[in-house]
Amino acid sequence: MFAAVAWKWGSWLWRLSSDDRRRILKGIPSLATLQAVGETVSESLLHRRIFRVNPLLGYMHMSLAFGWFLLISVGWIETVSYMGFRWVPLQGHVFFKYFATGLPHKPVFEFTMDLLLLFVLSGVALAWGKRLYSRAMGMRRTTRHAWGDRIALSALWFIFPARLAAESLTAALYGGGGFLTGSLGAALDRVADPALLGHAATAAWWFYSCCLGLFFVGLPFSRYMHIFTEIPLIFLRRYRLRSGEKEGAFDRFQIEACSRCGICIDPCQLQQTLGIDDVQSVYFLRDRRYGRLRLATANNCLMCGRCQVKCPVGIDLNTLRLNSRDTMRNIPDERRYEYLKGLDRSQGAGKVGYFAGCMTLLTPRTLRAMERIFGAAGEEVWWADREGGVCCGRPLKLSGETDSARKMVQYNTDLFRKHGITTLVTSCPICLKVFREDYDLPGIEVLHHSEYILRLIRSGRLPVIYGAERYTYHDPCELGRGSGIYDEPRAVIEAVGELLEPASTREHALCCGSSVANTAISDGQQLRIAQAVVQELEATGAETIVTACPLCKKALVRGAKGEVRDLAEIVAAHIR
Amino acid sequence: MKRVIVIGGGVAGMQTALRLADDGCDPLILEKEGELGGKLRDWYVLFPTFTPASEVLAELKGRVIRRGIEVRTSAEVAAFTPHSVTLAGGETLACDAVVVATGFTLFDARIKEEYGYGIYDNVVTSADLERMFAEGRVAKSDGSRPRRIAFLHCVGSRDEKVCQSHCSRVCCITGVKQAMEMKRLFPEADVFNFYMDIRMFGPGYEEMYREAQQRCNIHFVRGRISEASPTIDGRIQIKAEDTLTGRPLKMSVDMLVLLVGMRANDSNARFAAQSGVERSPSGFLAPKSLFLDGVRSTAEGIFYAGTVTAPKSVGECVCEGYAAADAAAEYVKER
Repeated sequence: MFAAVAWKWGSWLWRLSSDDRRRILKGIPSLATLQAVGETVSESLLHRRIFRVNPLLGYMHMSLAFGWFLLISVGWIETVSYMGFRWVPLQGHVFFKYFATGLPHKPVFEFTMDLLLLFVLSGVALAWGKRLYSRAMGMRRTTRHAWGDRIALSALWFIFPARLAAESLTAALYGGGGFLTGSLGAALDRVADPALLGHAATAAWWFYSCCLGLFFVGLPFSRYMHIFTEIPLIFLRRYRLRSGEKEGAFDRFQIEACSRCGICIDPCQLQQTLGIDDVQSVYFLRDRRYGRLRLATANNCLMCGRCQVKCPVGIDLNTLRLNSRDTMRNIPDERRYEYLKGLDRSQGAGKVGYFAGCMTLLTPRTLRAMERIFGAAGEEVWWADREGGVCCGRPLKLSGETDSARKMVQYNTDLFRKHGITTLVTSCPICLKVFREDYDLPGIEVLHHSEYILRLIRSGRLPVIYGAERYTYHDPCELGRGSGIYDEPRAVIEAVGELLEPASTREHALCCGSSVANTAISDGQQLRIAQAVVQELEATGAETIVTACPLCKKALVRGAKGEVRDLAEIVAAHIR
Repeated sequence: MKRVIVIGGGVAGMQTALRLADDGCDPLILEKEGELGGKLRDWYVLFPTFTPASEVLAELKGRVIRRGIEVRTSAEVAAFTPHSVTLAGGETLACDAVVVATGFTLFDARIKEEYGYGIYDNVVTSADLERMFAEGRVAKSDGSRPRRIAFLHCVGSRDEKVCQSHCSRVCCITGVKQAMEMKRLFPEADVFNFYMDIRMFGPGYEEMYREAQQRCNIHFVRGRISEASPTIDGRIQIKAEDTLTGRPLKMSVDMLVLLVGMRANDSNARFAAQSGVERSPSGFLAPKSLFLDGVRSTAEGIFYAGTVTAPKSVGECVCEGYAAADAAAEYVKER
């Protein structure tokens, strides 16, 4: 097992890019190492993030991981205390009770070891319970495991009951044992004859060692590889290693750190609303790890990021899915983009540039509202694409066509720089995200219109009237979870009326369902998601649903009975 | 006498009630609006003969009055079973069978925001244009005469983006008819029809389409308009692709007419849940069989007439009125 794990780590580290290796070398002597040690204890042993999902689920994982860790370490100390101070291998304790029957008893150790065994056994019992009724631990659905995982899982489940049986039987034969194994042993001694106990003890020890062996042999090839992979992942992440738009060696650490706990399944709206249950991150990572990934699975994801927020290992799920798509789909058509040469349909002049984006051009109410807002604030605006422009590149990037996306990025970068703007405003969060992450725009501040409008209001350049209307706000994925902008749109709404929050909000907000990242589901399925979202928004009792993304607006309007408005529209209607 | 309640007093509902009376039943029409007539009240002339809609409507209404058929207007139905109908006010009416003739809903063109309906002046729907014809004042919003007019087919029909995958059938011929009327009113204007397919399924339709091209010189461009935007001089710029030449095109027009489709009523979902009848994927109610039982529902004692099951023309709706009435009469007599 150790050889397999070491070989895996070694080959992944070996294949890291030279930049990444430099980051590691620079990181090791820094504070990051200490922080990583701390995170390893709190996450790999104590599982703090799972506690946040559900306390019982957290306890289950902690008792198994931390309990077993303590069993091994205390067991090792116990062994050392018997054998004297000399070299004892870590696994030295495993069969200690079997071989060391004639030694004098040390009740303190026996008590502690029994307590720890009980701790782990409680976790195993919970794990069994979870398979029967996962709702009790806050999970409506758990992972459907492949047969390899099932074997490893069964072995793990039997290790500790087998150990309990084996140690109790040994205690029955030779005495000793703590409050658990000792009393069980004494009870067995009273009811059974010694010959039978002897055979049973041998069988129990054999069963125990078989389970243990099976588990450790299966570990590097099953979900339990996460036990050892999460630790280097934590360190590497602290050393600022990240997955990128192309698949890389660091991805392996992320992929194999997935424990397939299935916490990502419940928040997925494809599962919640449409009943699609074989594309979620846990299945995506598993298929990619074993080289069985199909395009249909990679494509069927809204990339809303709801699962990423919940992932207890903190895996960068969206980036991994994107670079899988890149590997499968990046086939640029060179001739298709010849029209970009020398094209410039922009209008006006000013230090502030406005990029509407394709979706805002298809929702002209928003565009009109922005024209009114710029006019009222007296802003001189350079209109990048009012007469039609070139796509920001994000939809192509999301579909995996990275090289084609780069052509758009290059075209628009040159256009923005040529016109000498210092601020770039866009009303589309999809464009915003790609401008901020993939464009090289020195000296140009990129703002979402919610941020820009809030600045205008706060600086007194845009006087607005507070009205009696009640609004509810839908967080667009690319703006909220994607770009971390939650407060600005809310502040803008509160400047013109009352804001009512829906049940799922901010980082837990629902996706409108029409994400350009999903090319697999039909319009009818998108509509069903939109209807579910609208239902939650309308339950707030607000008259108007407000969002800050033209695509979300177009999606929600299909499922809404009442009004759906862009943030800019409600502001434009309240200019004093 | 057996009481049969007809829900909806449009052309299909009125003809159903007339035929039920002929069949020896006692029909009652429930109409949610203040008067009989349904959608036809908003229409000016009918394809392919340019017959005034008011003529057809007056004749049907006259017959209903002369036969003394009981009518309740402003009576919206909340729920029904084969043997009772509950009104929105809470009143329950007993009956022996129900004929559902609740018709359709016009697609709301504002959902296709990219066409600018309700945002820019001079973007109108086909229903708006009929009203303008009826009122005798077809003009741009500033009162001037349009010099270039574009019709866009399939707005809210055959459009997966708005989840209306079905064909509304009658808008193609309506587009041809309205284009010819516009050409008659404004002979100097250029009239363009942007279409995906032209579906001329009825008697005399194809001939009318040919006449529109050959005699009226109306231009037909195969390609959907992708978006409309205002120009500085108050016109509308449209972007489309001429898919026959494979080239994108831009054009400024004075009026853009959106040929809105027929979509299923929202009430169909409620009715289906309450009465156990089935809906087709398009949202329209599904007849028991498309071939042998086109006017029967999947539930005993509930029958259909007109566009509640699918988009249809006026003539087809009237024919279904006869068929639904006969099926309902046969059912109540056997009971």
